[in-house]
Amino acid sequence: MIRFDNVTKSYKGAMPALRDISLEMLKGEFVFLVGSSGSGKTTFLKLLLREELPDQGRIWVAGRDIGQLSQWRVPYLRRNLGCVFQDFRLLPNKTVAENVAFALEVIGRPRGQIKTQVTQVLELVGLGQKHERMPDELSGGEQQRVAIARAFVNRPLVLLADEPTGNLDPATSQGIMKLLDRINRTGTTVVMATHDVGIVDTMRRRVVELDRGHLVRDQARGVYGYAADLNSSSRGVPAVSVAAGRSAYDDDGAGEPITNRVAAVRARRGQR
Amino acid sequence: MGVSVDYVAKETATNLWRNRMMALAAILTVAVSLSLVGTALLLRQAVNRQISAWGHNVNVQIFMNADATTSQVANVRSMIKQTPQITNFTYLGHKASYAQAKKILAGDPAAIGVLTAQTTPTVFRVQLKDPAEAATVVSTFNSGVPGVYQATSPSQSIHVMQEVTNVLQIILLVIAIVLLVSSLVLILNAIRMAIFARRREVGVMKLVGATNWFIRVPFMLEGLVQGLLGAIVAVVIVLLSNIGVNYLINKYHVSLLGSTVLPTHDLLMTELLVVAVGVVVGVAGSSVAVRRFLDV
Repeated sequence: MIRFDNVTKSYKGAMPALRDISLEMLKGEFVFLVGSSGSGKTTFLKLLLREELPDQGRIWVAGRDIGQLSQWRVPYLRRNLGCVFQDFRLLPNKTVAENVAFALEVIGRPRGQIKTQVTQVLELVGLGQKHERMPDELSGGEQQRVAIARAFVNRPLVLLADEPTGNLDPATSQGIMKLLDRINRTGTTVVMATHDVGIVDTMRRRVVELDRGHLVRDQARGVYGYAADLNSSSRGVPAVSVAAGRSAYDDDGAGEPITNRVAAVRARRGQR
Repeated sequence: MGVSVDYVAKETATNLWRNRMMALAAILTVAVSLSLVGTALLLRQAVNRQISAWGHNVNVQIFMNADATTSQVANVRSMIKQTPQITNFTYLGHKASYAQAKKILAGDPAAIGVLTAQTTPTVFRVQLKDPAEAATVVSTFNSGVPGVYQATSPSQSIHVMQEVTNVLQIILLVIAIVLLVSSLVLILNAIRMAIFARRREVGVMKLVGATNWFIRVPFMLEGLVQGLLGAIVAVVIVLLSNIGVNYLINKYHVSLLGSTVLPTHDLLMTELLVVAVGVVVGVAGSSVAVRRFLDV
C-alpha cells in the first residue's frame, strides 16, 4: 500500500528531516509513527500527501510512484488518503453534516450519493443524532469524530492521522482510538503519528520510530519507548538505537520479527 | 472533472456578497474607466465620420464685406475665374446668405435678430481641384483684395478639430488606462481577500482532493463577474451619453454635426469592445491573485 525506498528529505538550511528511509506498510495495517518533536513524523505524512517531494528516493502509494505524478493528478492521489489532525480543521460555519458532505461536494460527487454516504459515516462515528449541530456546539472528541467522518466518508485506502488525540483527554482518546481501530478493521490502512505513550502501549500495533530523521525502530505489536528488541528491528536500523536493550514490555514476546509479521498480515488478509 | 454548475454559482455569489464593499469599489472603477474608453472610441468615430462628410466638398469660402460694392464683387469673381486651382464656384447673394445664416444659427435667435439680409456678408463658395491647395487659395484672397472680408477654408477648422480631438482622445485614453490598471489591482485585492477569508475551506478542499481548477474557478469567476458588472454599467453610461448627444444635435438641428450621429453597428461594436475589456480585466486580475495567493 505504502512503500518508501531510500527516501531522504531536507528543508533549506536545516538538518535533513528524513534520512534514507525505507519501509513498507501493507493494506489493512495499523501503524503508529512515533518519535520526539522534529523527528520527521510530519514530514513523513507530508511526503505521503505529496505536499512535499523527496530529495532522493521513491515513494509508492497504492502501486504508484507519487514522485512521478503530474501536478494535476495529485488531487486524485489525495482522494485515496484521508487525513485527520490534532486541531480537527472543521469549517466553523457549516453543520456537522455539511462539513462531512463538503468533502464529497468538492470532488464532484452526485447529491444523492453524498446524502447516503454522509448519513452512513456519521452513524459509523457515533454522531447519528448530531447532523445539524455546529462544530462549536460539540466536545473536542465529537469534533474529532466529525473530522474522522470527513476523512473517511470517501472510503480512502489509507487514513493518515497526525496526533489525532493530541488535544483530547485520555478517556476521549480511547473512544477515538476505538473508532480508528474500527475503521482499520474495514481494511483501511491507518497511519497515526502520536506522542501518546498510553495509546501505543495498549493498542500493541506496529510501531515505526523516527529519531532526527532516521528510522530507528520498526516493530510489530510494539510499544512507545526506546524499548526495541534487538531481533525485532531487522531493517538496517543503526545499531546504536537498538542497543538500548530489551524492555519490560517485551517480555511476552510480542515483538516478533518483522518478516514474520508481514507474513502474518498477508495471511490475515487471505482469510478475509 | 465534474465541476458542478450550481456549486460554482453558489460559491461565487456567496463570495461576492461577503466581500461586497471591495467588489463594489472594483466594479465602479471598472465602470468609470470603461465609460471613458467607450466615450473616447465613440468620439473618434464621430469625428472621423464628420470629417469625411465635410471632406466631400472641401472648399474655400470667401466672405465679402457686407457693404462691398458691385464692382468689388465683380473683381473678386474674375479673380476666382483666373485662379487655376479653382474648378467651380457659387455666389450666395445677400438673401441666400441670410437664409444660410438663419439655418446655421438656428440655436441662437439673438444672433439672428441682429442680422438682416443687408448686413449679412455675401459669400463665394469655391471648389478646388485638390483640397490640399486650400491654404494657397485662402492666402491669395486674404492678401488685401478690396471688398474681401475674409477667406476661410473648413479644412483649417477640420485640422484644428482633428488636433483637438486627438489630444482629447489621448487624455481620455490615458486616464482610462490608469483607471483600468487600478481596477485590475482592486479586483486582484478583492480576490486576494476572498481567498484569505476562505483559507480554511481551501485547505480542506486540497486535503480531500478537490482538483486545482475546482478550487480556482469560483475565485476567477468572481473576478470575471466584477469586470462584467463594471462593463455593463459602462455600456449603459456610454449608451446614455450617446443618446444625449444625439438628442442635442436633433433638438438644435445642428445639421453641420449631423454625421456625428453614429450608426447602430458602430455603437454596438464599441459596446462589445467595452464588455470584452471588462471581462479581460476581471479575469486578468483574478488570475494573478489566484496564481500568487492560492497555493494549490
